[in-house]
Amino acid sequence: MALTRNTKRTILAGVGLVVGGFVIALLIWIVYLDRIVTAQFEGRRWTLPAQVFAEPLELYAGQSFGADTLEQELKRLGYRRADQAEQPGSYSRRGTRIDLVNRRFQFWDALQEPQLISIATRGNSIESMRNGRNEDVPIFRLDPLLIGSIFPIHGEDRVVVTPDEVSPLLPAALKVVEDRKFDSHNGVDFGAIARAAWVNLRAGQIEQGGSTLTQQLVKSYFLDNRRTLGRKLEEAMMAWLLEFHFDKPDLMNAYINEIYLGQDGNRAVHGFGLASQFYFGKPLAELQLHEVALLVAIVRGPSYYDPRRHADRVRARRDLVLKLMAQYKVVDESAAKEAAKRPLGIVNTGSQAGSYYPAFLDLVRRTLRRDYREEDLTEAGLKIFSTLNPLIQSQSEKSLAQELDRLDKLRKQKTPKQLEGVVVVTAPQNGEVIAMVGGRQASFDGFNRALDAKRSIGSLVKPVIYLAALETGRYSAASIVEDGPVEVKLANGKVWAPQNISEEFYGQVPLVRALAQSLNLATVHLGLEVGLPKVTNEFVALGLEKEPAQLPSVLLGALDVSPLEVAQLYNAFANGGFSTPLRAVRAVVDAEGKPLKSFALEVTPVADPVAVYQVNRMLVQVMEHGSGQAARAQIPADIVVAGKTGTSSDYRDSWFAGFSGNTLAVVWIGYDDNSPTGLTGSSGSLPVWSRLMRSIGTTSWSAPLPEGLEEKSIEFKTGLAANPGCGGEELVTIAVPTGTQLQPKPGCETSILGELGERAREWWRSVVR
Amino acid sequence: MKRRQQPWVLLLASALLGACAVPSPYQKPTPPPEQPSGTPPAETRPGEPPSTTEEPQPLPAPVAREPTLGAASRALVSQAQTQVATKNYAIAASSIERALRIEPDNPLLWIELGKVRFAEGNYVQAENMGRKAVSMSVNAPRAQSSSWKLIADSFRARGKNIEAQEAQARSDSLNPG
Repeated sequence: MALTRNTKRTILAGVGLVVGGFVIALLIWIVYLDRIVTAQFEGRRWTLPAQVFAEPLELYAGQSFGADTLEQELKRLGYRRADQAEQPGSYSRRGTRIDLVNRRFQFWDALQEPQLISIATRGNSIESMRNGRNEDVPIFRLDPLLIGSIFPIHGEDRVVVTPDEVSPLLPAALKVVEDRKFDSHNGVDFGAIARAAWVNLRAGQIEQGGSTLTQQLVKSYFLDNRRTLGRKLEEAMMAWLLEFHFDKPDLMNAYINEIYLGQDGNRAVHGFGLASQFYFGKPLAELQLHEVALLVAIVRGPSYYDPRRHADRVRARRDLVLKLMAQYKVVDESAAKEAAKRPLGIVNTGSQAGSYYPAFLDLVRRTLRRDYREEDLTEAGLKIFSTLNPLIQSQSEKSLAQELDRLDKLRKQKTPKQLEGVVVVTAPQNGEVIAMVGGRQASFDGFNRALDAKRSIGSLVKPVIYLAALETGRYSAASIVEDGPVEVKLANGKVWAPQNISEEFYGQVPLVRALAQSLNLATVHLGLEVGLPKVTNEFVALGLEKEPAQLPSVLLGALDVSPLEVAQLYNAFANGGFSTPLRAVRAVVDAEGKPLKSFALEVTPVADPVAVYQVNRMLVQVMEHGSGQAARAQIPADIVVAGKTGTSSDYRDSWFAGFSGNTLAVVWIGYDDNSPTGLTGSSGSLPVWSRLMRSIGTTSWSAPLPEGLEEKSIEFKTGLAANPGCGGEELVTIAVPTGTQLQPKPGCETSILGELGERAREWWRSVVR
Repeated sequence: MKRRQQPWVLLLASALLGACAVPSPYQKPTPPPEQPSGTPPAETRPGEPPSTTEEPQPLPAPVAREPTLGAASRALVSQAQTQVATKNYAIAASSIERALRIEPDNPLLWIELGKVRFAEGNYVQAENMGRKAVSMSVNAPRAQSSSWKLIADSFRARGKNIEAQEAQARSDSLNPG
């Protein structure tokens, strides 16, 4: 039966309506996608995480770098050895002489252009430095190591590069391997899709992708990983729109900065700029052919081709990339063959470049959060100059990990529970935090014990009490205190009766011994004599933020403090009674290199330098005669160090805090659940500290004897003035206010002449130094 | 038994070594000579041999050891002085801080840093830097005098004239020249 005209018309109108509706919907969809594409692409194309740099290496005549050490440092910075140093980032070596050309670098205070520097070394130090015009160079800074960035929570990290920072090899290789029609297609290469489909059909699995670089860019930039037909259409449409709006070089540059190239814990490595740092420890511009080929090889599957885990796999693909590059005349056949012979050249994550320091970066982030919004840090491309010393950082990580392994083995725990630890290292004179390890797995980005683990510090409080005592002017290191039973009636009616760790009484002891052997009862007697308010005030003066409660138990360290706060406290001792806020950041500049903020060095006198000096001399005796003695077997005999052990009740926390001439380090060991470890400060943290101090070749603590003090020789056990000539036993040298009358050991009553001789000898000793 | 140093040795040594640039540091004492186990108790031993001089001689004054700057620090300090002249205080301070990382114990650098702080009007920090320098210039009257001068200037700038006068007096007394 024929349809009536009316019915026909209705059907036609319906179809027209549907088609029209469809076309309108399509247009709306395209306009919608177009807005997404252009808005995001034309605005800020990438969020730029702030880049964090380590402290730069200073070179100057007299610096203790032999040629070997210097070469090592240059390699760490990714400098390439050449026959002749000509390119930035390269060096040459002839015997003890090293020539280098530095990289261009914008420091916060100056722009450093590349120049040739010739460094003559002799033995273990730099003898002289000259530039290309043969002028003397008194001091020179190398470009610092990039140690990380502050990326947003979702974890995308990148170092954005401009086209002139990219070797032309890279785009050429990408085109040859990923998208040969890149220069001519409109976003989608239908030929490639058909070819890929054919290959995959025959193989029965996905072997080839037909996506153009533009499609890959769209997928990475706008879409998630779902593979549906709808997604494919959307991707193709957005690729076409991108091609419509932007030109090819722009898209290539976007691709180079956007694409995902690896994973490092929480952080996703995006773009070739960061990948170059992450895998090779140097800027993208300096990569050679075999290195470029390797990065291009990784593009296809950063996890499958992870060069640190699947070296053979990625090597085969790298060589394939090289072959394709030769085949399509990007490079000569011979160059490609040469490059294929080269090893992968990947830096270890354990080495400096490419390492990740979550605890330290966390401190940097918290420092800056006071002045910047989170978005500024994760998006605005700030450059942050930090105080981290990568060498000391890696030694700190090693020292802690090795000792914790040893301790765990020693104790043969039945439970699988592992000890945890923290190391904080500062430069006492300027308060810079030069290393920070937040746990035995230093690269684990989680709970930052260095900042957030508030633990009982035990005997680490003692130097503060002794300082408070000396500041009253009523005591010296030879003053006698009673190490006997203590009973204090507390406000709640209970009686507080602490014990020595040995549960013995030592009777009449001099302060120096009470501190060195960490005698609890003598210290409580002293603290109560001095008065709790004076003691708790002292904590605040030295840099503790919150004043401890005025309870007698504070005298034995019932005080919960983080390792960083302990470092702040001890820094005041190491810095001779001056407090300087610990800092992890020196300066911040914006994306254009304009200085935004500098964290200037500030010092504040917080304690009498003369009293501090006397306490420090007692802390030296901790290492010579007291609870820190074990360190002496590790640290060279001529290096003077000072420090203090700390053990909290029931052996829950093992602490050591101590300093040399240029380094202060605080070590904590314990369990996260606060259960007893069975370790004292001496058996747990001290070995970590000594190992670290030995490994970094530290200098002697050598503060000058302040005017108004003199050195005296007393018996460690009795505190009586004595010298070897009159049968004094276990003598120690202490510093006391000039003219202090000390009780002499019978037979050691020195005449004025003897006194004179003693003083002359000291004077002589200080002169010959 | 150890022989006591004769005064003339000390005087000679002072003449020879007076130019040393290092302030007297704490040094680890050399361990006392081992006592033979059979040594009689101290009381029964003969006393020390009498000194050759009858009258106690006054000790020679401690040798002044004025600090000097190393070549690297010198370059950085002069760079900082140029930067101060152009009012680039933060940058000048950062130059001095570079030098301080090389020679943290040199009071002259703390004085220089204090001068930068003074120039930018941060008188409290200028004074503190002066105090830090004082604590490090043991046996270095010239460096101490400059430190007290910096402290005096910082007080004066804050209108604390009495304290300024005291500090100035200390500076003057240390630097008679």
